[in-house]
This record gives sequence, structure tokens and C-alpha cells, in this order.
Amino acid sequence: MRSRYLRDLFGGLWSILVSLRVTLRYLFTPAITTQYPDEHRFQPLRTLNRHSLTIEEATGKLKCTACNLCAVICPTRCIELTGAGKGKERRADTFIIDHNLCMYCNLCVEVCPFDAITMWTRIGELSAYTRSGLVYDQPTMTADRFYPTPMTPERPAGAGKVGSA
Amino acid sequence: MSLLQGRFEPNIVTTSLDWLFNWARKSSPWPMTFGLACCAIEMMATGASRFDLDRLGAGVFRPSPRQSDVMIVAGTVTEKMAPRIKTLYDQMPDPKWVIAMGACAISGGPFYYDAYHVVKGVDLIIPVDVYVPGCPPTPEALIYGVLKLQEQITHDTIAKRPSGKVSLLPAQA
Repeated sequence: MRSRYLRDLFGGLWSILVSLRVTLRYLFTPAITTQYPDEHRFQPLRTLNRHSLTIEEATGKLKCTACNLCAVICPTRCIELTGAGKGKERRADTFIIDHNLCMYCNLCVEVCPFDAITMWTRIGELSAYTRSGLVYDQPTMTADRFYPTPMTPERPAGAGKVGSA
Repeated sequence: MSLLQGRFEPNIVTTSLDWLFNWARKSSPWPMTFGLACCAIEMMATGASRFDLDRLGAGVFRPSPRQSDVMIVAGTVTEKMAPRIKTLYDQMPDPKWVIAMGACAISGGPFYYDAYHVVKGVDLIIPVDVYVPGCPPTPEALIYGVLKLQEQITHDTIAKRPSGKVSLLPAQA
């Protein structure tokens, strides 16, 4: 009887250790948690985030010619824009994107014939206290001058700290 | 609203109590286990080990509205679900906050035009404190929304407001 009691006792302890093997292994490996407000996860270049309107470097004007293609193709109809000027001088006057509605489908970028709008901006944290705080206009969307192309290296210097990948 | 809410002019007692209450409230905004659509998947990812909402004290997803402080409306609010959301919000004890997560919860999103079955924004039925846009928002965006909510909670006070109008919003820049 006594030997069976001891066998049950130590056998039970051993089975607990065996079943906790994975837990014990992960206890001694470094944590994968990204300490978000201090440290940013590495996001691929083609992550779709808040829009940015590109500016022609030679003239300092918007590339957008107010052709309205993005507003027409938008499935949620969240883009509103007006243009000013005639012919080759035509440029966007007001350009408003309502991020209450936007579904980040990238169709406006794909349809744009002048690459005047991009979503590869890595600006993804957009919370607001009011709905009007999420309607972005032209000065907000031209403030950021980072326009990556498929040729841009994936990990540019100064694009946020690279988290534990 | 508690017993002390809005009964005293601002003085050293109410400001000290404000500091204590707001510290306690912002350190443990327990959300309700409440997912309506695909945004709930990102909410689960936020609670998991990679992003770990528990670091902010907000990762204790409570199974009952009686125990929760924050309602994260994650997903499309259909006309059928709207009365249930109102009931769940009413069952939560004060003080309570609401985060509208994703385009559908904020304004109906892709269903804003040409849809008969979706509520055009959850703020039509319950008051919303923080709007987190995205379709769905990344876990970082939701954590940023929770941080904004904590910032808003620190501005709350139990003293009488200067005017009769109650506004919980901090001054907009």
C-alpha cells in the first residue's frame, strides 16, 4: 500500500511537470510583447494607412488634378474634392477624406493616374473624441512628406523603432 | 453618477478625490466581452500576448455588463442588434465609457449608403467617447484609442461644472 501511495504521488508530480513543459519553456524565452506606446511593431511598407497627398517637388503644388476618379471609384464615397484652374493648370482646391467611412481598400490609389495619393504612410493611429476629428483635409494630408515607392527599401532609417520580429 | 457627483464646488477635497478616482478608473478600464463582427478579431489580437492590452489594465474582458467599465463596440451594428446594445449599455454600472471601433461602428462604414439593415453609427443609440477608425483598426490603433480614453478619464471631475453644460471632452487643439 505504501509503495503504491508513493508511486501515485511522484507519478502525479511527474505528469504535472510533463504537461507544463511547454509553459516552462516559454517562461524562459524572451517575451514577444511589443511595448506599444514606447516601441512600434515593424509594419511592412505596403500597409494601408491614412492617406497622404503627394506634392510635386519641382513646383511645390499638389500632383492631384481634380479628375474626380478616386471619388467616383470609392466604394464608401468618402472622398470629396473640388478643383480650380483650367487645362494643365487644374489642381485640387479642397480635398477631404472622411475616415469615418473609409474602408482602406486602396482603390483610390490604384485608380489615380498621377500617383497623387498614397496610403503607404505608416500613420495608423487616428483616434479622435469627435467624428469631425476624423475628417482629414488637405493641409493634414500634405503635412507628411514620406512617399515610398516599390523601390523604397523596406526598413528605412528613422521610420520608427523595429520591434522584435 | 455617484452620490458625490456635482454636489460641491471645486475645492481641495474634490480635486484630491478626483486625482484618486481618476487614477483608479483609468488604471482599470475593464472592457466587456462584446464582439459584433471582424473588428472583434483584431480586439482579440489586441488582448493576446503580442500586444497585451493588460499592460494598460484594460485586458480583463468581463463576461457580464455588470462588471465592466468600457464597451468596445467592435463591428457592424445591425438594426436587430441595436436594442440589445442599448440594453447592455444600460446594464453597465456608472461610470461607463464607450469606444466605437472601426468604420461600421462609427458611421456604418461601407453600409452608410444603400443599406437598410445597419445603424448609421453606434452614437445614434449610445454615447461614444472615443472613435477608432479603420477597417478593421490595427491592434496599435485600438491601444491608441484606449490611451486616448485614459487621457479623457483623467479630465473627469466630481465637482460642479462651471456652467450647467456637462462636457467630458478635453479642450480641442
